[in-house]
Order: sequence, then C-alpha cells, then structure tokens
Amino acid sequence: MYVKVEWLGKTVRVPVVKYQGRLWFHWQGETHSVEISVSRRAGGATAKTQPGVLSAPMPGKVTQVRVAKGDRVTKGQALVVMEAMKMEYTLEADRDGKITELNAQAGVQVALGDVLVRVGEV
Amino acid sequence: MAHRPRSRGRFTKLGIANRGEVAVRIIRAAQELGLETVLLHSSVDEKTAAFRLADETVCIGEAPSALSYLNINANIQGALSTGCEAIHPGFGFLSENADFAEQVEANGMIFVGPTAKNIRLFGDKISAKEHVENSGGPVIPGYRGEDQSIERMIKECEMMGYPVICKAAAGGGGRGLKVIRDKASAKELILSAQREAQSSFGSSVVFLEKYLENAKHIEVQIFGDPSGRVTSLLERECSVQRRHQKIIEEALSPSLDDDLRAKISQVARNLAESAAYVGAGTVEFLLQDGQFYFMEVNTRLQVEHPVTELVLGVDLVKAQLMTAMGQPLHWPKQFQPRGHAIECRLYAEDPYKGGMPSTGKLLAAEWPQGPGRRFEVGFEPGDDVTANYDPMIAKVIVWDETRIRAIQKMKRTLSETIVFGVHTNIPLLQVILSHEEFLSGKMTTRFFETHFSKGLAKQEYSKSEVALIQTLNAQVSGATSIADSENGGAKSSPWSHSWGKA
Repeated sequence: MYVKVEWLGKTVRVPVVKYQGRLWFHWQGETHSVEISVSRRAGGATAKTQPGVLSAPMPGKVTQVRVAKGDRVTKGQALVVMEAMKMEYTLEADRDGKITELNAQAGVQVALGDVLVRVGEV
Repeated sequence: MAHRPRSRGRFTKLGIANRGEVAVRIIRAAQELGLETVLLHSSVDEKTAAFRLADETVCIGEAPSALSYLNINANIQGALSTGCEAIHPGFGFLSENADFAEQVEANGMIFVGPTAKNIRLFGDKISAKEHVENSGGPVIPGYRGEDQSIERMIKECEMMGYPVICKAAAGGGGRGLKVIRDKASAKELILSAQREAQSSFGSSVVFLEKYLENAKHIEVQIFGDPSGRVTSLLERECSVQRRHQKIIEEALSPSLDDDLRAKISQVARNLAESAAYVGAGTVEFLLQDGQFYFMEVNTRLQVEHPVTELVLGVDLVKAQLMTAMGQPLHWPKQFQPRGHAIECRLYAEDPYKGGMPSTGKLLAAEWPQGPGRRFEVGFEPGDDVTANYDPMIAKVIVWDETRIRAIQKMKRTLSETIVFGVHTNIPLLQVILSHEEFLSGKMTTRFFETHFSKGLAKQEYSKSEVALIQTLNAQVSGATSIADSENGGAKSSPWSHSWGKA
C-alpha cells in the first residue's frame, strides 16, 4: 500500500508493507526495513546479541562441528561451519571461554536465530 | 530404450532443466519461437515465475539440488514423461555436465548446448588449460597435478610463492575457490575448497595457480555454428566481484583498445575452433599490465549474457535454440557494437550485515520500466526466497549511448526498484556505481575486496525519519483490518497483493 505523508512541505506517497513485525518502505531512492518493537515504539529496536551466545545468522545446514561441550575455546576460534546458498560460513567464538551448550550437529538444518553454541565465561 | 541419438534437428517441445530468472528467460525465448515449454522443477519451486509461465511443469525431486536440479536421471525421466524433444540446461546445475548432455541425446532428445566432447574438454579446468597451453595460448603458471594430498598442495603453494589461488577443477562461478595468502591459512583454505568443490560439483579435485593481484576479468562471448565457424561476439568486463562471484558486468570493456580487443577475440575464436565448438560459450581471461592470460571456458550461456545482447542486438538464447534446431543464424561476419550496457546482479542479502543471505517471502516488487532498461526476474510477490539455491533473485540491465550515461541510468533505475520481504544488495550496488575507481573504469578483481569487504555501515535514522517511520507504522497498522478508503488505488496497485496478506 501507499501512505501519504507530508515531507518538507510536499505530499509524498510512500510504498509501505508491514509483515511479521517488520516495516518495509521505499524512501528517497532506497528500500528500508525496520523492525517494529512490540511496545509500539518505532525506531528499529532490534534484539541485542548477548556475548557468548552464537546463533545461526541465516537458515542453512550445519556441515561441521569443530568443538565439543566442555571444550575451552579462544576468541576467534572456528566452532561451527554452516552452509547456505552453497556458501560456507564459519561461526567463531566471540570471546574466550568454555562451551556450555552445543545444539549443532553436522548435517542438520537450522533456522535463522537458532542458538547453536553458548560460550560461558571461565 | 529404442531411442535414436540425435544432436540437432527440428523440435517443438523444450524441457527447461533449471529455475529462477534464467528459466523465465529461456521459456520466453522458446515461446516466442513457437515452442512448447516444460519446466523440470524441484518440489519447492512451484511458487516461482517460471512455474507460472511454462506451458507444462513436472516435479523431478525434492528441494536439495542433488535430488532434483543436479539429478541427471530425474531430469531425463521428467522430460521423457512429458514428451520433450530437447532440453535447455540454462546455467549452473547440469549445464556443464557432459554426462547429462550425453544422456539427453542417448534418450533421443536434443541437448541445447555444445557437444558432450566440448563440455568434457573445457569443463575440466585442468584439461582446458592443457589444451590452451598446447596450442600456444597464454596461461597462468600453476599446479594441476593428480596428487590432491594436502601435503603436496601446500608444498606446491610454497614453491609457487603466495598469493596462490585454489580452484575447483570441475567448477566455475566462484564456488570452491579460495585465495591463499600465507602458509598459516593454506591447509584450512585448501580443505575448505575441496569440500565446497565436492558439494557444489560432485568432485573434490582442485588446482593451484599463481594469483594475479591486479588483474581485470575480461571474457569473450563466442558462438560456434555446426559448420565449424566460430563467431566472436566481443568482450564483457566483469571485474567487480566478491568472493569471486560477479556482481556487476558490462559490455564492452572500458579497458581494451581496438588492438587488444582484436587480439583477445582472435585467441578465443582460435581456441573454440580448434575444439570444433558448437553453440554459446565464453572464454574467460585475466588482463594485467596489457597482458592477457586464459582462465577458463564456460560451455554454456552466461548469467551476464544480456549485456552482450544489448550492445550487439542479438538474442543468444534464441540463437542457441535455432542452432539446436539446425537453423542458420544470419549473423554478420563481424559485429559492430553500439553504446554501452551494464548488468547488476540483485542478490537476496543484507548489505548492512556483511552480505548475509536473506530469505523470506517476497512481499512486493516493482521493476521500473523505461527506455533501455531490462529486468530478468525469477520471483513474484508472494513467492518464497529460500536458502536452498543461489541467492541471485533478479538482474537489472541497462543500455545507453555511453558508459557514463549507462551508469547514470543504472543508478536511477536501482533507486526506483523496490523489493520488500527480502533484503537486497541494491544499497551496495549504488555505492559501487558511484565509486571513483569504478567510474574511471580502472577497477580490478581486487576492487570489491579493497573497498567494500566490510560491507556498509547502517546509518542512524534522524529524528524526522524516526517520526516518519512512526507515521508509516501507525497508518499501515491502523489500516490492516479495514478497507483503505483513503487510498482508493490500493486494490489495483502493485501492493494490493501483499496488502491482502499483511
């Protein structure tokens, strides 16, 4: 749909679609996508990533798990390798620590946002 | 089976062993030639543009490519069961699989493409290089041996000196391809390349080559007719690449003068003629310091074929179909290029998150038509963009009289292009198209990595923009349950489709 808005003294027709809590609109030559928080406050309040929590950045398949639960890891170490759209992506430890949770298994399909690994503080 | 193999001749029904925008491209060309079309598709591709456009469809297997688009037998059976007399493989998938080409013909159908022998010679990147080397052509030094052990590979890297590039022997399109910059990362990268090669091409064989740091990617479109004559359709430049996947392509190259153009065309033609090449193919070169080196031959239609079509006034897909039908093309002996064409590949990815693949339901799409603008699109609003296949969802191609005008047209076109539901790389394309190095035409294959490897930084919204977002949100949220009386045109607008679903 289009929404008419006043902008700098002019009426502008803005193409807009809202779907699953996300607002898509085309504005001044660029498509924008903003997550609308449940509390109705606009402005793109996206969930902050927590340190040590590694979730699937996209839907895809886990191809390799390089660590086991209880392993000590260092920041930057490759933990899980995923494949999506035929490209490989490697999830790396974002801090030094110990693997406290491991939900990844080679060959298994995972969804966007699935928590695959937790790296606990030592 | 009592089929008589045949390689060329009249047919009326064509199977398309592909998906997405290229399937649409082939179906349209075939329908315009009066052919019936059958889409051979996977179980998750019923909601795509090609599925709706094809005269007939047949599901050949489940979502994973290995079970459908890469499954030779499933494609053959699907085509036979629907009475196809020929198969066009598009690009990617089975398009460069000699066994498939052979199987198609062994089952009495025509393979729209080069001969199995052509594919076998050039499809294996190692035998292709040897063929070029033997005919005195320019190749890059490297290791193409049978010993694929990691120890040997690393030893060869050390001898060659870094940087070294590792490529899949059976590959193309950037998959299974890694640049190795030091010994520390060599093992990891080679093993990763072998894995990617295995999963993408069914063979883990890789080879090593000295990596040219400041080279341009130049490729020559060739087309062989059954009499053995090969025509050069001049070159394209595809130096704007990320992880060795092309992003922006253009014809002609801003980097060649007439002399070099004639030379590179001649090398490509000689190579194709020496192999009795039939149909559309592309000879890829790297150009550095005025020297060009053979890289590979792609024995198929290329993703970027439209830029050649626009500057030369040809239809390469129809030419492929005509050749398969045994009909002459009536092309001039030498093509005269007109103006400049640029193609941008639209990838479903988030440019503000380092190009992370983006999947989801396509909520709305608007492709702003205009003189010299062309869109190749595989999805329509309501369709799902899944993680099963390549992230390229569309191509935007423009033509204008000069390169700079074509760039301006592309920027304008992209600014009016709307895709809701999945993120696209359009913001990134815009930044590239405005970059000084691209504008100068001096970009090399390192251009993207040098300037854009970090992706784009998301800009904070200003106060007035936040207010705008709130207004839009309030309007769209308030209106979702009631008819939009304010916006009388909504029902017939391109948004009405998604409107009903939101």
